[in-house]
Amino acid sequence: MKYIDILERKLGRKVTKAEIEAFTVMWSEHCGYSHTKGYIRQLPRVGFGGNAGIVPLDDYHFIAFKVESHNHPSAIEPFNGAATGVGGIIRDILAMGARPTAILDSLHMDKVTEGIIDGISDYGNSIGVPTVGGELRISDYYKYNPLVNVMAVGVGRNEHLIPSTAQKPGQVIVIFGGATGRDGIHGASFASEDLTGEKATKLSIQVGDPFAEKMLIEAFLEMVEEGLVEGAQDLGAGGVLSATSELVAKANLGAIVHLDRMPLREPDMNPVEILISESQERMAVVTSVEKANRVIEIARRYLLFADIVVEVTETGRYVAKYNDGTVIDVPAKLLEESPEERTYGYRPVEMPKFNWIKFKNVDAHGVFERYDYMVGTDTVVRPGYGPAVIRVKSSSGYSLVIHSRADLGLQEPYWAAYITLLECVRKTLSVGARPLAITDGINYADPDVQPEGLAAQMKGLKDACEFANVPVASGNASLYNTYKGNGIPPTLVIGMIGKLENLNVPRPRKSAIYAIGFKDFKLERERLLWNEIERIAKAGYFIVSMHDFSTMSTLKQELQKIGLDMKVKSPKCEPVHQLIMVFGDVDTKLPKELIGYCN
Amino acid sequence: MTASFPKAQVVVYPGSNCDRDALWALRYVGFDAEFVDIRSHIGSDVNLLVLPGGFSYGDYLRVGAVAAREPISSEIRDFMSRGGLIIGICNGFQILIEMGILPGALLQNSTGKFICKIVELEVVDNETPFTRYFERGEKIHLPIAHGFGRYVKTNGLVNSQDNVIFRYAQDVNGADELIAGISNENKNVLGLMPHPERAIEKLIGSDDGLRVFLSAFNYIKTSSENMLQKTKVGVA
Repeated sequence: MKYIDILERKLGRKVTKAEIEAFTVMWSEHCGYSHTKGYIRQLPRVGFGGNAGIVPLDDYHFIAFKVESHNHPSAIEPFNGAATGVGGIIRDILAMGARPTAILDSLHMDKVTEGIIDGISDYGNSIGVPTVGGELRISDYYKYNPLVNVMAVGVGRNEHLIPSTAQKPGQVIVIFGGATGRDGIHGASFASEDLTGEKATKLSIQVGDPFAEKMLIEAFLEMVEEGLVEGAQDLGAGGVLSATSELVAKANLGAIVHLDRMPLREPDMNPVEILISESQERMAVVTSVEKANRVIEIARRYLLFADIVVEVTETGRYVAKYNDGTVIDVPAKLLEESPEERTYGYRPVEMPKFNWIKFKNVDAHGVFERYDYMVGTDTVVRPGYGPAVIRVKSSSGYSLVIHSRADLGLQEPYWAAYITLLECVRKTLSVGARPLAITDGINYADPDVQPEGLAAQMKGLKDACEFANVPVASGNASLYNTYKGNGIPPTLVIGMIGKLENLNVPRPRKSAIYAIGFKDFKLERERLLWNEIERIAKAGYFIVSMHDFSTMSTLKQELQKIGLDMKVKSPKCEPVHQLIMVFGDVDTKLPKELIGYCN
Repeated sequence: MTASFPKAQVVVYPGSNCDRDALWALRYVGFDAEFVDIRSHIGSDVNLLVLPGGFSYGDYLRVGAVAAREPISSEIRDFMSRGGLIIGICNGFQILIEMGILPGALLQNSTGKFICKIVELEVVDNETPFTRYFERGEKIHLPIAHGFGRYVKTNGLVNSQDNVIFRYAQDVNGADELIAGISNENKNVLGLMPHPERAIEKLIGSDDGLRVFLSAFNYIKTSSENMLQKTKVGVA
């Protein structure tokens, strides 16, 4: 059944033109997760459901983290597409009450696209959040559909954790930040279709203002510190409509939205445009009538616009008004209840023999040295080594990994997802950390044409999480990464957070280098490998866990900078293997082979 | 009578983003340190002022140009005339140049790109309040992170023999004479592109920046003790 028919049946009447606009956004794949929510429900989860995933770091702090894609905008307008990808995910972290502390990016493209790198660099550097790691995969498979997945992380104090809902009638919602313009109108719907669709114009692309974002971060954290924020949501896809309806619908409440109070950059915008504009650098804060003035005062001190735009009601209806006229009046819950597409079962097959599909090897220095990876003075292990390690000044620290295996995804999505997760665990253990949780970035072609691949990928993720006992805390799905019907390989990006008990991270030093483990893969050996990695890291040996040891130029150059010269014969192995590289002669039960020296 | 700890303030401009790092570094070496908002005032008992790195006002105009025209600038000038110590780091250096306190100009890197890495520097002058703990000619490592760090001399405004404090060991951004940091004539103002506040612990890569702050700390301590001595002698 067409979505419009479902909507009319639920409303019990014909839809209005304004409602079509609103539901086109809210029930888009990008906002509504129609094709993926059935699968996501089956994943083992922790700290799920808010703007970002939440895991405890220690007795006083929580970590908020999430990965998000900005693939479609980056294809059309690389600079602003990538920049606003950073901005959006940062606000998701912020909305939980956490100070953003790190950015990682997973980039799949056919060449190093300057605009994308510049966009991330310009935005991330300005807002003072270090870009501490990432992956760079170069292949012609991404010629028309580059993938820009950005993961952001933040740390907050437990008493500052902010719910992503309103709580009671009588509360108000202040919207503050930059002014609202026409940029990004129908961005959510554009991101939910083939790139040759009618919405693929630059008007659908949001424009970034990193200075406003920096002001917004500091203003919001000051509001949190003063206890003014009772709930929060950032304005991203779907703008005012999505943010405010989610805040009230989750609590079975309603809202009266005064669109005429929104500060505009373009004064002739019509009410529906104001409702769904995706202008960046805006936040919605749930607060009481008494505290609202102080919220506005703080926002203005940080040179931002702010006004009370929404009254929270008990009616359960989402009513948007412009002056005295009603723009839309629908059940708030209905906006959230996007139709759910059927999910497909998938019965795993035995792991096939994978072939090497090599992505181009590029030295990542040319990219990550354009990102400020040190601001904040907490970057303990910087880019170039693999996993990043970040300390928390009044606590210990955490590890960050972002990883994908699209080369396997092309051949068999179930095991591709499974192996990606196992490799994340190895990388996390290699710096002496223990895996806490993951965030998953689903990047897929057309789920209506190839539903089985998506089912296989999601089942692989689920089974691997259960095998490793690592839950999912947040995630993002980007579907319809197609151009004229041709799609990308199934590309599941996993971001993993690990916890460190202390900051005695193994460091490279002059030593013999060994390949330890197995050149092929057997699932029943994986735990044995993990135990060995954990033990070797604890003993202080530097470990390199990579899927492809033939491309180590980035590591080699990084070692040169600290005066070390690595000379190794890359160990030969299968595309899926159980091999690690260890600096130093360590005793182990696993097969061990001398492969070179570090001088 | 015990002398109190040297006091420092970090000027927070809209868009500063190394303000918290500078505060952490100052407290790490023992300063009684706090932030000062641009609408607020520099304390009368302050010994050291830090203008931190970042992107003041987004650097949408010429870097540092808007921040240099804030009302607090006149307080910063008065503070400098009284002999107070000032360190401008990265965007803070750019602001000091825009204010005309330090000579020259900072242009876009010759590569046209932002550069973030740890670089080798030579300490050219160790007779300033900020470099007393270094040897002359010593090679140290500090991080850089900037897009507009290419120092250029302007019509004889800088006599590089007297004013250059740090030089890059190799060319990184196309700066004239590899200049990385300079001072004013009285040597109570230091401006530099590298980030000493990011290099105060081995854990995060280098602790060579620690001595910039320790030098200033020690300088303030000894000069205030000397003052105290003189006062005592005077009373006796």
